[in-house]
Amino acid sequence: MYRKQVRRRRAVLAGLIVVCLVLLSISFSEAQSGPLHSIQRGVSAVLSPVEEGASRALKPARDLVDWFGETFDARGENEALREEAQGLRAEVADAQSAVGENEQLRKMLDLDQADAALGSYKRVTGRVIGRSPTIWYSTVMIDVGTSSGVKVNDAVITGDGLVGRISEATRGSAQVALITDHRSAVSASVLPKGPDGIVEPEVGDPDDLLLDFIDNNEEVKEGQILVTAGWSDGRISSAYPYGIEIGRVTEAAVGEQETFQQIHLQPFADIRGADYLQVLTGGPARPGVPG
Amino acid sequence: MIVTWRITLRIAVIILLAAVLQVSFFSYLSIFGSVPDLVGVVVVSLGLLGGGVIGAVCGFVLGLVMDSLLLQTLGVSSIVLLAMGYLAGRYREGFEISSSLAPPLLAAGLTVLGASIFAAIQLMLGVETPVSLLVVREVLVKGLLAFLLMVPLFPLMRRVLRPALVDDASARRAISPLRSRLRRRRRGTGGRRGRSGRVTGAVPSRRVRGGLA
Repeated sequence: MYRKQVRRRRAVLAGLIVVCLVLLSISFSEAQSGPLHSIQRGVSAVLSPVEEGASRALKPARDLVDWFGETFDARGENEALREEAQGLRAEVADAQSAVGENEQLRKMLDLDQADAALGSYKRVTGRVIGRSPTIWYSTVMIDVGTSSGVKVNDAVITGDGLVGRISEATRGSAQVALITDHRSAVSASVLPKGPDGIVEPEVGDPDDLLLDFIDNNEEVKEGQILVTAGWSDGRISSAYPYGIEIGRVTEAAVGEQETFQQIHLQPFADIRGADYLQVLTGGPARPGVPG
Repeated sequence: MIVTWRITLRIAVIILLAAVLQVSFFSYLSIFGSVPDLVGVVVVSLGLLGGGVIGAVCGFVLGLVMDSLLLQTLGVSSIVLLAMGYLAGRYREGFEISSSLAPPLLAAGLTVLGASIFAAIQLMLGVETPVSLLVVREVLVKGLLAFLLMVPLFPLMRRVLRPALVDDASARRAISPLRSRLRRRRRGTGGRRGRSGRVTGAVPSRRVRGGLA
């Protein structure tokens, strides 16, 4: 009797492990349009109203927990913000003169201002209804999907800056791969006229991003701002349009033995704390970007 | 654990509730850079109450639900939660849970193990970006949070699944032999098994005493 139980237990365990490995292999190697992904999207579409309802119902409880945390952090933050405000006053004065100069140059070059300022994109606002509990998948679910015009690879922002891009979309919900996800890589430009590089995350540290592929000869200073590069060579292009603010350089070090600099930056957007996100849909065609 | 359709329904509700609460509430709470792992704690509880097979099956199903909810690579969460549930169940089958600290300690240990297996699978699947040492801190804090979560959760789960627990049923019979005999006579069975229920999982060699209930 006992042996029979042991045999049955082992069989169940082995069967489940085999099923897991088969699912893992298929899911990992299959294209987004494959049958397993379609089933997964179907299950997600069925469960997303439950998720949305729970998210709304639990918001007061989340806010209460956040309130305790924010009150605790507020004291230290106040001092830091005062110091930052002093520095920003000087920057505003410089920026105002630069804006006037910029307008004159734009007129001279006949640039389409609306296009440059993301004006040609339609903004679809979505509520965050679910978050991944692990640092290895830095993703969130939002309650807008293809029925609202959201497509895979659309850029996602908050009022503060870039958050990520749409990685999966169902009719009523979409998955956003945050810029802190290990699969994320954003081509970025250092302002005002700095070099271009790739912003990538450091897994496990969501408050710190890395700017890679900046040559040791280039000069990047602490405090400089990064925006999306939005490049295109006619055949392939960046998934992100030009000019979305990403973050500020916090540390730039030149390694003696290394080809590229080690540049750290802090994202502007509260990437894991935002309750509402905006998806930039439509806009000019981006050749080579599927979606 | 005596698995009847009612108990199956209760477990299904627990699994769905745990997945939704994890995604919609617990994942928003960032404590020292880590997120409380409710699903892991629930699977460990089910393993401790139901044995290895039930722990493994519940872990597998809960993993599939989580991966589907979050559109993640299917199978990764399942294999991790399956291992956690099975190991918790094996502990229950082999050892006596004599101290009230045993379930929280086990939850903490298995959560750390689960998070490590998850990290190892991710690294095997390929991570091209640098990995911070803060990952280690995240795993350890997750274990600590699992310990704290298990303290109220295990008695709650035990209460919800009490009608199915073999040990609790024997304890109840020991307390009220007359009522038990009357019930058996009314059913006309005389056996220990219910009509629709069947006994699953290995019965522990020694009775589980105390616990947190």
